[in-house]
Amino acid sequence: MKLDLNINGEDLEVDVSGSELLSDVLRSKLDLTGVKEGCREGECGACTVLMDDMAVNSCLVLAIQATGRRIVTVEGLAQQDALDKIQEAFVEHGAIQCGYCSPGMIMAAKALLLREPRPTRHAIRDALAGNLCRCTGYLNIIKAIEAALLPPRDREERL
Amino acid sequence: MTYIGTSLPISSGTPKASGSLAYTGDMKLDRMLHAKLLLSPHPHAKIKSIDTAKAAAVPGVIAIFSHENTPATYYNSALWIAEQDFVPDERLFSPVVRFVGDRVAAVVAADEATAEHAAALIEVDYEELPAVFDIEEAFAARNVSRDPETLPIYENPISDMTVEYGNTDEAFARAHLVVEDRVKTPKTHHCAIENHVCLAVAERDGSITVHTPCQSVFAVKFIVAKALSLPDDRIRVIKAPTGGSFGGKSEPVLEPLCAFFSRVTKRPVMLQLDRYGSIVSTRTRNAAVGRVKTAFDKDGKILARDIQAIGDAGAYRSGGNMVVGAMARRLGRLYKIGNQRFRGWSVYTNTPIGGAYRGYGSSQIHAITEINLEHAARRLGMDPVELRLKNLVEPFDDDPAGGPSVGNARIIECVKEGAEAFDWKNKRNRPRGDGRRKRGVGMSCATHGNGHFGAYPENAAATLSLRDDGGLHLVSPLHDLGCGTVTIMRQIVAEAVGASPEMVAVPEADTGTCAFDPGSRASRVTYIVGECAQEASLMLKAKILEVAALAFNSSPDDLTLKDNQIRSNYGGDRRMSLRELAGFARQRSPEDISVTHHFKPRANPGSYAACFVEVEVDTLTGLTRVMDVLAVHDIGQPINLTLAEGQVHGGIHMGIGYALLEDLDIDPDTGQTKGNSLSRYQVLNAPEMPRVQVLFVESKETTGPYGGKALGEVATVPMAPAIVNAVNHALGTELTELPLTPERVVAGLVEQDELDQA
Repeated sequence: MKLDLNINGEDLEVDVSGSELLSDVLRSKLDLTGVKEGCREGECGACTVLMDDMAVNSCLVLAIQATGRRIVTVEGLAQQDALDKIQEAFVEHGAIQCGYCSPGMIMAAKALLLREPRPTRHAIRDALAGNLCRCTGYLNIIKAIEAALLPPRDREERL
Repeated sequence: MTYIGTSLPISSGTPKASGSLAYTGDMKLDRMLHAKLLLSPHPHAKIKSIDTAKAAAVPGVIAIFSHENTPATYYNSALWIAEQDFVPDERLFSPVVRFVGDRVAAVVAADEATAEHAAALIEVDYEELPAVFDIEEAFAARNVSRDPETLPIYENPISDMTVEYGNTDEAFARAHLVVEDRVKTPKTHHCAIENHVCLAVAERDGSITVHTPCQSVFAVKFIVAKALSLPDDRIRVIKAPTGGSFGGKSEPVLEPLCAFFSRVTKRPVMLQLDRYGSIVSTRTRNAAVGRVKTAFDKDGKILARDIQAIGDAGAYRSGGNMVVGAMARRLGRLYKIGNQRFRGWSVYTNTPIGGAYRGYGSSQIHAITEINLEHAARRLGMDPVELRLKNLVEPFDDDPAGGPSVGNARIIECVKEGAEAFDWKNKRNRPRGDGRRKRGVGMSCATHGNGHFGAYPENAAATLSLRDDGGLHLVSPLHDLGCGTVTIMRQIVAEAVGASPEMVAVPEADTGTCAFDPGSRASRVTYIVGECAQEASLMLKAKILEVAALAFNSSPDDLTLKDNQIRSNYGGDRRMSLRELAGFARQRSPEDISVTHHFKPRANPGSYAACFVEVEVDTLTGLTRVMDVLAVHDIGQPINLTLAEGQVHGGIHMGIGYALLEDLDIDPDTGQTKGNSLSRYQVLNAPEMPRVQVLFVESKETTGPYGGKALGEVATVPMAPAIVNAVNHALGTELTELPLTPERVVAGLVEQDELDQA
């Protein structure tokens, strides 16, 4: 069937079957391979995307459920090649090692900052609860998110 | 120093953060096919027949493989040198399956869904055979040929080794106290977020190119060539971006299969496992059982130690014997122990295959010995820190077992600085709580090696060139697994030459362009390849200055190369950029500005760690929460501070899992892996991560690059015993079976109550 999807700000018509997962459609049909896959059961969070600004595991969403929603993948964050401040902070603060969980982590962080611009450390940790990372122990990821939400001057003082 | 010890961001950061980096599973090639494996549901069975008719009839299916139409060549996936003499007992598909998860068949189809659907339609008739899952049961049945009809013979034990020095029996006879423990460590999964994956491409000339997130392109090449009976030079292996490995992708597992499928179908073939496949059918950490007896004098000096350990190789031997050997090699390198005996065996069981895993052998042996030391401190009435300080090795001690010197070993500083920063004395003597929740603190020390020297052949090779654009180009078989190998090589080259890191290109391993080295394994990359890169850089710099001397009409000694520019030490405005110099050299110099350096190390110092933790245990549920961690390391000079901290953070995360959560948890009746998905195999998430402080003691290892040595593996080793020790401190128990699941903690408390009442 033909689905009308809004992906990274673009209206697209995509041919999918009724049982196809959003993660598969994004990866295979739209070449948005920044959407990673690690478990296909909603445990690892590597496939996290935004659906109407909420973080969802795209491996637990059918493509047809995405109709009429705004889907944003990690590829949709950078504006004219300039990284989002969360992406920048991840690079700068050692939040990235192997990088496989990074797109999902970044999208989970983005969803958090969209609903709560100045979250506490506790809220940041909770927002990442559904995203597994095996390299970093999460600590530099949390640090990066805190750095991203502070204006540059505060950032210097706090770090 | 300009770049060493800084926090240069990881080189691949931007493509990883933007999602643009193509990992193997993201690659798409024209006419590419997808393969799916059918895995055994039985722990040990003979395949009587395989009916592929239904699967073959599915539209889009291109080929089906099983033991009936694949080579019967046996290989051992642990080797990394072409002619290494390791016993071969694995083949692409075996007519006898030996564990739940063993490979039965594969379907290659136009797309992944079709391959998966067809694989489920393959009908297999099995004749079930007796199976053994428990290490000690397998050991007790040793010297019994379990499978006489097939070659090779799968016979226990796989290996039997003894290391002994001093006079252990005599020392035990005069001991003031002997403390004995039996410690069990689990079979665990690496849990890289990227599942195992490989892409093989049959080229027009009949050769095969393999793209794989591996740890040694040469190991892949040798094993693929062997399994397919092809000459080595028909296989080219290119290291792909790696979404985590931790040893899990060290041994070629999918590569020989994928290469064969591509060779037969003459099309590119992608083979990607799902999480179940990654957990059960690739490699795991060898489970172990250790019995340790330690003899002390009345002051707490260790007189002697006697250890017997059995490692669980799983269903195929792989490097099971080497893991036990690695356990033995640590024994004289952490504490001064004049008399010691180790006897170790590796055994087959009908369970998932063991292999490399971060902290190879060290994680098992330190769990055994460091938990034992905590119990000893208790019985001696001594503080565990004091007990360790009486016994720890000192810088440049010899290895009494005959291994290389421990090098500039600063473990005593790690323990002293750590105890102070953690406020150990106060925390240790604080009340543990009289309510439902008890608090305790524990600590542990650890050591791990720096490369293979002293155990296996070791070498590194690098070609460093000045390009015409003024950039530097390092060609060495590097495998960045996410630790930042590429970044630190750029720092080392930049520092040594006088260039800036962004001018240094460091492509990763490709057997088509690189000379041999053993790959990312054995904590060898920073220390050995880094040293090789530093030496090559200094040689290149000398060459650059020689050519520059022609341009400046001066002596090389009178010139300085810094910030990509050459200038005279005697002033003057003249500056020559590396680009200008490269152009000058191209036209005027008799030889190109390039060096190839082959490096063989003559040392293998220890890297050291001390870890301090505080835990809170809920005595009602048995749940343990790690509250605080302080990790102090002696890694010589850290090359990159942020990356080094990141290694420690990740090591702590993995160590907490090893202590409390992670276990494949093989069902003793059926041989099924119970921890077979991420919902059943628990990995710590962000809210569960404790507060962490990371310290590095002032130290330089003169044999390493800029004084640096290895970190990634040792970082995880002390964590699990430190946590177990803290739990036992909180509860007054002597729990020794990892992981300390709530069930085990509650059982320990019940047992303790019974003992108290008796």
